[in-house]
Amino acid sequence: MHYLLRRIGGAALVLSLAFIVAYVMLTALPGDAVMARYGNPDLGLSAAELAQIRTAYGADRPALLQFLDTVASFLRGDLGYSVQTGAAVSTLLAAALPSTLALALLGLLVAVTVAVVIAVAATHGGLRHLGATRALRSTLRGLPSLMVSLPVFWIGIVLLQVFSFRLGLVPVLNASPLQSLILPVLTLAIPIAAPLAQVLIRSIDEVSAEPFVAVTRARGASTRWLLTRSVARNATLPALTMAGLLFGELVGGAVVTETVFGRMGVGLVTAQAVAARDTPVLMAVVVLSAVVFVVINLVVDLLYPVLDPRLRSTTAAPARREAVAA
Amino acid sequence: MASFTRRSALALGISMPALATLAACGASSSGATADGAPVGGGTLTYLEPQTWTTLYPPSAGFYPNGGIVNNITDRLLHQNPETLELEPWIATALPEVNDDATEYTFTLREDVTYSDGTPLDAQNVVKNFDLFGAGDAARALTVSEAINNYDRGEVLDPVTVRFHFTAPAPGFAQAVSTLNSGLLSSATLDRDGQQFGPGNAAEIIGSGPFVIAEEQIGTQLSLTAREDYAWAPASLQHSGRAHLDGIDILVAAEDSVRVGTVTSGQAHLARQIEAPDEPQFAAEGLSLHAAATNGVNNGLNFRFRDPALEDPRIRQALIAAIDRQAIVDTLFTENYPLATGALAATALGHVDTSEHYVHDPELAASLLEEAGWVAGADGIRAKDGQPLTLTFNEALPQPRSKEVVTLLQEQLDELGIDVQLLPGDQAAQNAARAEPGTVQVYHSMVGRADFDVLKSQYASDNRNVLLNTEPDESTGDPELDELLGAIASTPGKEGRAEASATAQAHLAEQAYILPLFEEPQVFGHTAALQGFATESVGRPSFYDAWLEG
Repeated sequence: MHYLLRRIGGAALVLSLAFIVAYVMLTALPGDAVMARYGNPDLGLSAAELAQIRTAYGADRPALLQFLDTVASFLRGDLGYSVQTGAAVSTLLAAALPSTLALALLGLLVAVTVAVVIAVAATHGGLRHLGATRALRSTLRGLPSLMVSLPVFWIGIVLLQVFSFRLGLVPVLNASPLQSLILPVLTLAIPIAAPLAQVLIRSIDEVSAEPFVAVTRARGASTRWLLTRSVARNATLPALTMAGLLFGELVGGAVVTETVFGRMGVGLVTAQAVAARDTPVLMAVVVLSAVVFVVINLVVDLLYPVLDPRLRSTTAAPARREAVAA
Repeated sequence: MASFTRRSALALGISMPALATLAACGASSSGATADGAPVGGGTLTYLEPQTWTTLYPPSAGFYPNGGIVNNITDRLLHQNPETLELEPWIATALPEVNDDATEYTFTLREDVTYSDGTPLDAQNVVKNFDLFGAGDAARALTVSEAINNYDRGEVLDPVTVRFHFTAPAPGFAQAVSTLNSGLLSSATLDRDGQQFGPGNAAEIIGSGPFVIAEEQIGTQLSLTAREDYAWAPASLQHSGRAHLDGIDILVAAEDSVRVGTVTSGQAHLARQIEAPDEPQFAAEGLSLHAAATNGVNNGLNFRFRDPALEDPRIRQALIAAIDRQAIVDTLFTENYPLATGALAATALGHVDTSEHYVHDPELAASLLEEAGWVAGADGIRAKDGQPLTLTFNEALPQPRSKEVVTLLQEQLDELGIDVQLLPGDQAAQNAARAEPGTVQVYHSMVGRADFDVLKSQYASDNRNVLLNTEPDESTGDPELDELLGAIASTPGKEGRAEASATAQAHLAEQAYILPLFEEPQVFGHTAALQGFATESVGRPSFYDAWLEG
């Protein structure tokens, strides 16, 4: 319980720091959201008219006052309005969240599946002893490095070009909800699966070299028994840590994927807000991402003891996490 | 019309019969081809590179906004996109204007209603212009750039309105025809800036041929035809309701996705086909539509109050040093004709000043020497220890601005002029735009089919792209402001054309600007889409459009 409280305290600290840093950085850049929208020469507003609008938005007040005002309204749960469009930020996010959630969860699921398949296939004992498949094994081992170096937008565009525009297998427009998810999920999953598979392969290798594996094997355990009972459990821990960290990748991937596919979601909202320097929207996205990041890492931490009995001693749990992950 | 057809034909490399077809269905002319009458029905799929931001008409200059506002609203007058002449629309005739153009009287049609059933009457029209002409900063609703010197509107009787101006406003008749003057129902006009934004689209009520039916924030907007629409401008191809049943406007930010979706037949129409993608539309069953924007050309503006550009010889040297033809040939296509002056050849009041814009590197070098700028050790010219470094902005809304500046960088480097590109997003560019000393050469364009467009771009109290008033708020060239002011205050078309010609000559003689090319709006579409047209600045008009087969 004490541990949980401490973690929540830490989470609050992370959140406030993320909020402050994001706000300061956005403010430090030349121009602001009101300038981005109304200072645009296309509106042809005179300096006096611009000043009036700035007053109406409160953009002419001291920076500290604006900051405190933003903090106060966030604490009240009021996310404010997008300067660029005037839409309520809560409306924008409510419209965006479900589709991003579906995309992210499915993307993660596919990524984990792909990573496990690659890792198991590349390290499988059955393959290890067949000289003929050495080429296959090194290909499989090389696959994650290739996948991790592909830019997300490039994957998206290539998938679209091949499967939609050339082969006509999946329509981009008027697609059923399932069809509209196939290519974006793949796009998102490939770069996430890659580091997961790399970590899994390495830790399976490492665990396989441990003396207890040799002992178990000497006692007559089959390769599959070894993998599922001994190696997998131990090798999962680093991968789990990695999965927590990969959330960042997921956010970045969603921004690109949703932009390429024109899919409504938090990523698309973020991309549009960045282009317009739309501070209220960006602050809400930062807070939302920070909350999800903190929660996911908390869940990952709480899962360690479940997977590894050695970590079940409550006092030592947080300290030993790094040791295992390293 | 002639120039439009020529450009499209060149771009596609098509043969004579195809050219004839194009002539028959280009711009807003025909909805029907030689072999068949328009077919009703169907839903058009239209891809936009960006999502719309507001449906408040004075802010509808942004293309994604304008594409919607143009189709859901009517205007008092219709500007024929080919002739640029004004024609009756909601007003039954051209307005009666007093001698000094300070009073405009319009007579309205009696049968027009908004899609919520409320009448479009004199009271409503006055309410529209009282908002568009004055703005309401408290509601974050801006004044329309096209309306100058607005005082007030007056209801004379239910079908007659009169607008009063504090000073002559000869541009007002054209202003009421632009989509910035799209008429909205009285209830819609009570909304504030936020309530014109995403999430509210279906509540924005106009009297146009299409009605907003459904909105998915950030990705899609669906329009449906209004069944009882019966007040289209007479010069259009048909009357009554629109041919199409509906239009789905979708956002596809990535260029290759827009191109691929249309070329694979999954969508009918896409806006902003970049020059390198144009050849893909040369294939069978695909077409390009390059719409002229009829305003100030895409070009460079030399900020002559900046110490680096004060000397006219430096500006003349820049003009002589830059190879405009190479820029157009390298980065663009035949849809981007080389500019012949400040204004597009199809714009009102255009004067050919191309004799001022001759490429001559040797002349450039000698002008620079003459002005005292000599090459230093690093190859960059310097004078009194100051290197000749010029900062250009990146015109983010304009096509390939970064590539243009990069090419200029190469060209000018050969003459020892150091060119820097101002980095940053739209907000940063906007902030730097009016900051003296930040940007010496300002890259921009503005589309608007009226004489006033020249004043909008260059006058000190408008966009002031030359920063005539900086750094000390004194006016560097009062003659320029005077000449521009005359365009917007001289009554009568001939007088305004003359004023515009004088101002254009002044801009050219003083070497204030270097027009690069006439910037089009390029649409790509499948052959199924017929009768597609654009208004005078290149926003899509779907009223006459129909889908074949």
